[in-house]
Amino acid sequence: MAYVELIDLVKHFGRHTAVDSMNLGIMEGELVSFLGGSGCGKTTTLRMIAGFESPTSGRIRIRDLDVVDVPPNRRGVGMVFQNYALFPNMTARQNIGFGLKVGGKPSAEIDRRVNEMLALIHMEELGSRFPHQMSGGQQQRVSLARALAASPRVLLLDEPLSALDARIRVLLRGEIRAIQRQLGITTIYVTHDQEEALSISDRIVVMRDGKIEQLGTPFEIYNRPATAFVASFIGSLNLLSAVVVEPDAGTLAVDGQRIAAAAPIQGAAGRMVRLSLRPEMISLANGSAGNNHLTGTLSNVVFLGSIVRLVLRIGGNELFLDTFNNPHLALPAIGARVTAGFPPEACILLE
Amino acid sequence: MIVARNCARSRNSAGPRNSAGPRKVWSWLWLVLGSLYFLVPLLATFFFSLRGKKGVLSLVAYAHVFKDPQFLTTFTFSLEMAVLTIAAGLALIIPTAIWVHLRVPRARVLIETFALLPFVIPPIVLVFGLIRLFSRPPFALVTSPALLVAGYVVLSFPYIFRAVDAGLRAIDLRVLTEAAQSLGAGWGTTFFRVVLPNIRVALLSAAFLTFSIVVGELTLAVMLAWPAFGPYMALMGRDLAYEPAALAIVSFLLTWGSIAFMQMLSRSIAGRGSFTGGVH
Repeated sequence: MAYVELIDLVKHFGRHTAVDSMNLGIMEGELVSFLGGSGCGKTTTLRMIAGFESPTSGRIRIRDLDVVDVPPNRRGVGMVFQNYALFPNMTARQNIGFGLKVGGKPSAEIDRRVNEMLALIHMEELGSRFPHQMSGGQQQRVSLARALAASPRVLLLDEPLSALDARIRVLLRGEIRAIQRQLGITTIYVTHDQEEALSISDRIVVMRDGKIEQLGTPFEIYNRPATAFVASFIGSLNLLSAVVVEPDAGTLAVDGQRIAAAAPIQGAAGRMVRLSLRPEMISLANGSAGNNHLTGTLSNVVFLGSIVRLVLRIGGNELFLDTFNNPHLALPAIGARVTAGFPPEACILLE
Repeated sequence: MIVARNCARSRNSAGPRNSAGPRKVWSWLWLVLGSLYFLVPLLATFFFSLRGKKGVLSLVAYAHVFKDPQFLTTFTFSLEMAVLTIAAGLALIIPTAIWVHLRVPRARVLIETFALLPFVIPPIVLVFGLIRLFSRPPFALVTSPALLVAGYVVLSFPYIFRAVDAGLRAIDLRVLTEAAQSLGAGWGTTFFRVVLPNIRVALLSAAFLTFSIVVGELTLAVMLAWPAFGPYMALMGRDLAYEPAALAIVSFLLTWGSIAFMQMLSRSIAGRGSFTGGVH
């Protein structure tokens, strides 16, 4: 039985449909990400769960209890906001203890719990700082501790890292995940950053135009994208136009060069299809058997630190492939003819 | 490349330093001119007030002012009215401004139009309207100080609204209230523990403005026949020569003293006073 359930959830803003009959079950202790571009309905859905927006229709159940008519301050839902939303007039301690104080807890208990929370976010020394005396990363840690202090049933995070710089973002997302696992708290994490969603989630809900485009584990979403949208949204992706040669044998042609897919292809020979290939599945050809090969002209070499991205021009298609950086790597010169190889399983056909 | 970046940095830092000199001179010049504009009349009034006795500088005019029992009663009366006006004005306008911010942002235009009315409609028109409307049953309020306070609230409305509005804009009101609610706070707690402390500076400036408007106000007090400080000063100015100047200086100091007192009071109310800025 799902811990958080969204049943036929709909939200209209005037004529605009922000969330369109959404159904979703989230298990206890699970971290689920809502991933999508701006205006896909992910934040609206989160705000409905928090109680800041009321659904046009549909139900929201938390632990078998319908919460649609419960005001936000009685839902037992902790929330972390994009811009921290710490109370500027209170210290870190007072911010963290706010929910407990409002809940009428005795001050000894509040003190104990606040200490626990400060330890959890590794900020024991900084409890007496005011928000304006803290860095963005520290503020967001305090915000997380504040949301968790009163032991909410569900933790909601609304793009918690998007106001921070890249290094802190990676660091803090690891901490959030570790804390979430440690406490076993059911968590919904809204983000537009696919890397963040892939690295932090148990499951990802990819959303588009208020609908769920695909629901699955990061592994499934990345390796078996259900739609072209998901495939292009998650990770970088080659999209090549190919012609079906033998549907039953699963052979295709890209710019006249034959390649084989792992499975039979639907549709007649001669039909145009979109072939997607992950750049990390492609390597500079070493002639191993069973591999597909495509030969083209090297048009660019992009150094990305730990990896080097090569861009090949194959007829009207552009194919990029990633190789690990290695000081002994002898890269072909731009303009050279280069052959790329990839296994049949790497071929993902999209409609 | 590192060298290039360092060069760029030193050039950047050199830029403002070079132009800082003349700019600083200009800003000081304007500051001095502005100060003179305010201080010269004040000083002139002050020196004039010292010439109550012929040929020597003396405090005789001040002695006269303080000897007059009217002085204290009228000032106390205006002080009371000011405090009541501030209380009533804030009680009316803070919740309204919050409501407009959170729920009906489009009503802002309407409220801003209202806020212009006290500038467009002269106080004399306002007070005649009040007298006409409230001098007979069911609203026979002309003899009640409540009507005076209500009139003052109208006069100070633009200042209070703008100060509160600016204060609310400086904090992220929506997110802060949502954060408080998600932590279990009801509207009362959110209002008193989260919103008010964070717009404290704005509330203080609203209070100061209201205070100085009410203490010096003439038209409403005269027409509604209240023994307020404004009419008293006007009366003195008509009948005497040096005492009004002394009175002006005294009222100036009293007003500033009261404002300083209010600031101290609000600091001690706000707790340890460790947070001073409302802007973030």
